[in-house]
Formats: sequence, C-alpha cells, structure tokens
Amino acid sequence: MTGEMYIAEATDERIRERGEHGGVVTALLKFALESGMVDAVLAVKKRNGNRYDGVPSLITEPEEVLECAGVLHCAPVNVARCVKEYLDGAKGVRLAVVCKPCDARAMIELAKREQINLANVIMIGVNCTGTLAPSVARKMLVEEFGVDPEDVVREDIDDGKLIITLGDGSTREKDLKELEERGYGRRENCRRCEVSVPRMADLACGKWGVPEGRRATFVEVCSERGGELLKKAAEAGVIRVEAPSKEAIDERERKEREALERSKEWQERYFGELKEMSSEERRRYWFDYFDRCIKCFGCRDACPICYCKECYLEAWRGFIRGGEVPPERAFPLIRLAHVADSCVNCGQCQDACPAEIPLSRLYQAVNKELQRVFKYVPGMSVEERPPLTVITEEELRNDDPLLFLR
Amino acid sequence: MGEGFEPKIIAFTCNWCAYAGADLAGVSRLKYPPNVRIIRVMCTGRIDPTFVLKAFTSGADGVLIGGCHIGDCHYIQGNALARRRATMLKKLLEHVGIEPERLRLEWISASEGGKFVETVKDFVERIRELGPNPLKGSG
Ligand code: SF4
Ligand code: SF4
Ligand code: SF4
Ligand code: FES
Repeated sequence: MTGEMYIAEATDERIRERGEHGGVVTALLKFALESGMVDAVLAVKKRNGNRYDGVPSLITEPEEVLECAGVLHCAPVNVARCVKEYLDGAKGVRLAVVCKPCDARAMIELAKREQINLANVIMIGVNCTGTLAPSVARKMLVEEFGVDPEDVVREDIDDGKLIITLGDGSTREKDLKELEERGYGRRENCRRCEVSVPRMADLACGKWGVPEGRRATFVEVCSERGGELLKKAAEAGVIRVEAPSKEAIDERERKEREALERSKEWQERYFGELKEMSSEERRRYWFDYFDRCIKCFGCRDACPICYCKECYLEAWRGFIRGGEVPPERAFPLIRLAHVADSCVNCGQCQDACPAEIPLSRLYQAVNKELQRVFKYVPGMSVEERPPLTVITEEELRNDDPLLFLR
Repeated sequence: MGEGFEPKIIAFTCNWCAYAGADLAGVSRLKYPPNVRIIRVMCTGRIDPTFVLKAFTSGADGVLIGGCHIGDCHYIQGNALARRRATMLKKLLEHVGIEPERLRLEWISASEGGKFVETVKDFVERIRELGPNPLKGSG
C-alpha cells in the first residue's frame, strides 16, 4: 500500500469549497473523527479570523474541522512541541495531526525520545515549500504588493513565485527569490529546507501533480495506517480517488526536484559565506550574535529536540551562572551540542529569539555536517536512533580515535 | 605565539585505562609537562559534551579525553560513544570558529604510561602553536 498515489477530492461540496485543493485534508480529518479512528484532531486555526495568527487547536467536534480548512502560510506554529507539551505526547489520546514536513520530523525525533506515542498519532502530512513569519509577511504585503494584509484570503508558493489572492478574487504574484533578496519572503530555515514532501508522515498531500485547473489533492500513501485511513474514507464516500496519470507523477517529481535545487542554492549562500570565513571571523560572527542573548530560554522552550525535564542550562545545575546576561558562552554552545545531531531545521528557535540570532543557520550548518559524518538524517524514521546513542559493530572493531573524521 | 604562554590543558581520563596510564607514568617517574590538570571520570562515556564546552568557556586552551582502547572499555561501549561525541564537538567548535584541534581524543591503556606522556607533550606543543583559547578574556 505504501507508495501508492492518488488524485483525490472531497465529495462534500461545502468542504470542497473551503479547502484549497479539493478539501481532501479537511475531509480526512473529519472522517477520522466521525468514524472513531481518532479521539481528536490537531490542526491550525485562525485566531479571531486573523490569518497571520494561527493557533494549534484541539478539535473533537467534526463540524469544527471545517474552520481549519485552507493553508496559513504566514502562521508557522509548533505542532510537535504542542503534542508533547500540552497533549501529554498523545499517550492517552488518539490524534490526527496535520503536519508540515518539519512538524512530522520533529514528532519522529520526539517519538524516538519517548516523548510522543506515535502509535496514537496519524500524521496527515502536507507538502511545504516554505512559510513566512507573520510580521515579515504583513510588511511585505504592504510594501511590496501594495495591498492591505487583511484583504488577503490566500497565499500560495509555486514555481518560485509567491501568489496572493485578495478578497475580490484577484491575484498578484512576485518572484520569491527577489522578495527574499530584499529581506521578505520565507523564513530563512524554510529557504534552506530540503524536505518538501513529508513521506515520513502517514500521508503526503499536496497540489503538485494535480492537473491544471482542477481543485484536487495529490496524495501519496506513506504508511499502512495512512493507507487505511484513505481507503476507509473512500469506501465511506467522503472522498473520491483516482489514479494519477504518468504525467501527473512526473510533474510532481519535477516540482519536488526543483524545490530541492532552490533550497540547495540557499544553503550554498548561507553556509558558503560562513565556510569562507577564517576561524577568527567565524568566531566573531557567532559570538557577536551570542552576546545579544538575553537568556530568555525561548529557543530551548520552542525547540522540539530540547525535551529534557531538567535542563543543563538552568542555573542550579552549575554550568551557567544565575542572573547573568548575556549568559556565559557555554549557554549557546551547550544547547547546540545537545540538539545539533537531531535538529530538523524547523526554525522554531529562531522565531522565538527576541535577540534575532539566526540560530537555525548555525544548527542546520552543524547538522548538515553531522548528517554526512554519521549518515543520519533526523526525523526520517522512528527506527533510526539518534547518532550519538548508537554504535555499529564495525566501529567496535576500529581503534582509530579519528575514525569519523578521516 | 607569544612568549610565556603556558597552555592550560584539561584532561578527562577514565578510571580504568587513561587515568591508570597517567598514574603509571607518575610511578615510573616519567616527566611530562605540568600544563595538564587531570579530571578522573569512571569512563569516557560519562563525559557529557557539556563538560568539554564548560572547560573551554572556563578558559582551558585544550581538552584531552583519554580512554581505553576500543574493545577494552569497562563499560563495553563508553569509549565508542565518547568518540561519536568528540566528533560532534569538533564539528561544533569548528563552526563557531574555535580550532577543533583544541579537543583531542586518545586511547591510552593502563600499561601505556609512555603514551600518556608522549600525548601530553605533543598536545601541549600543538596548543602552544595555536595560542591561547580565543574565548579567554574579551573573546
Ligand atoms: S534547533 Fe531550532 S531549528 Fe533545530 S530543531 Fe530545534 S528549534 Fe528546530
Ligand atoms: S539545552 Fe540540553 S539540557 Fe537543556 S533542554 Fe535542550 S537538550 Fe536538554
Ligand atoms: S531565544 Fe535568543 S535570547 Fe532567548 S535564550 Fe535563546 S538565544 Fe538567548
Ligand atoms: S572505562 Fe575507559 S573508556 Fe570506558
């Protein structure tokens, strides 16, 4: 079943209208709830109708699911941490959760640390090529698009363009790269993100591969459980599915490949610049940033990898002195050492940082390097253990202290 | 580097091998530079990356981790875990502009008093070439 692909749409007219791509995700969530496959749905809702303020909402009323239809590109929320922190890691509740790739990856990393019980979670993955910080988005809409942010009803990112739809149905589009050159556009971690199709979730849903002019969703089945949900929903008649054409599959692959190429370009830009620096320059670059830290613990509290009940960075542990701002340099380095092997580049730390330290830039840079060294990509499979906790047989036969650095 | 710079080295050594190796060097009256402060841990697997970073931010010019050879760790895989952590730390240090050579990992058995001495001598010389820990003072 895994690997099967479909073009799907909701059968309910109302849901089709509200959803952007045929309402499949909404219909699946509603069905999962109605059929008793899950106890609750976790999805993002606008707060008071404000599309720049998304709140993760726990929904138990099937009708309420409709309020979550549509994608909020300008309200990136921290779904994984939310499941861990406020829903007790789904230990006592069966959930259907809408996940961007980084959310799904973060949930998988948390599951490895026994912080989320994935057996209770159906991850409905949605393709993603980036999200925008709400404040940046509003400013951009005014300054670059010349529109009132409140007038926007929809955003879309496609083929390197940012397309917005206004209340009157008209659309405006701009080249994303040009916007980003000027400091607008997507969050910087998203620019560098390599995963646009969440195959680590149970289903991967997106618009790529859907024939022009049709409002439907391309769905890839990524697990038994995902396949079961899709099959049952189709049998119950809440969605219609059909096989995609060869062209549709190719088109989707092409879009995915191009998204990856774009992200590699951004990686090259961000990381290339740092690589070219001398050791001294690089040290100044980062430590000047670190010196801005006000020790608010925002990064730690937002990061899905920072799950410890007793954090080393608390003053009573003796590594960091209490009452000292900026905190001594061990502060940023310790967090880096603790999460760099598993960082999923979700950017939540950076979003949280009031000192605007480009934290994800550092974490992802180190993580990319460790990916190469340890052959481990975080958040891809629950079966793979974090690289600092495993030892291979082969390693146990090799006495070289620099084994991984040759 | 500047005259009179005496590197400060923190050596984390495991109880069963490297610490015993250092001890053997002592009882055999082998001379080694006095730049190293030894901290004994039961196993290199006990060395949280935090310890190493704290040593650097507290002013150590170099950190040496000494453990049993692979296969000899008294806790089976502690040294193999330490090797992975040290690898991660070296990459981390490099990314924030601290020379990764300031962290060194060596396997020294209880009978390798000579290797302990050679390692310390060599490490002190290398750190002398690198100069003081850039995080010291104003950073
Ligand atoms: S370090 Fe930052 S980017 Fe990486 S997983 Fe944690 S919050 Fe996300
Ligand atoms: S900084 Fe380290 S100790 Fe603190 S929560 Fe994060 S991983 Fe845990
Ligand atoms: S969020 Fe920024 S200011 Fe707050 S503790 Fe983290 S690095 Fe420091
Ligand atoms: S006991 Fe020596 S390294 Fe584990």
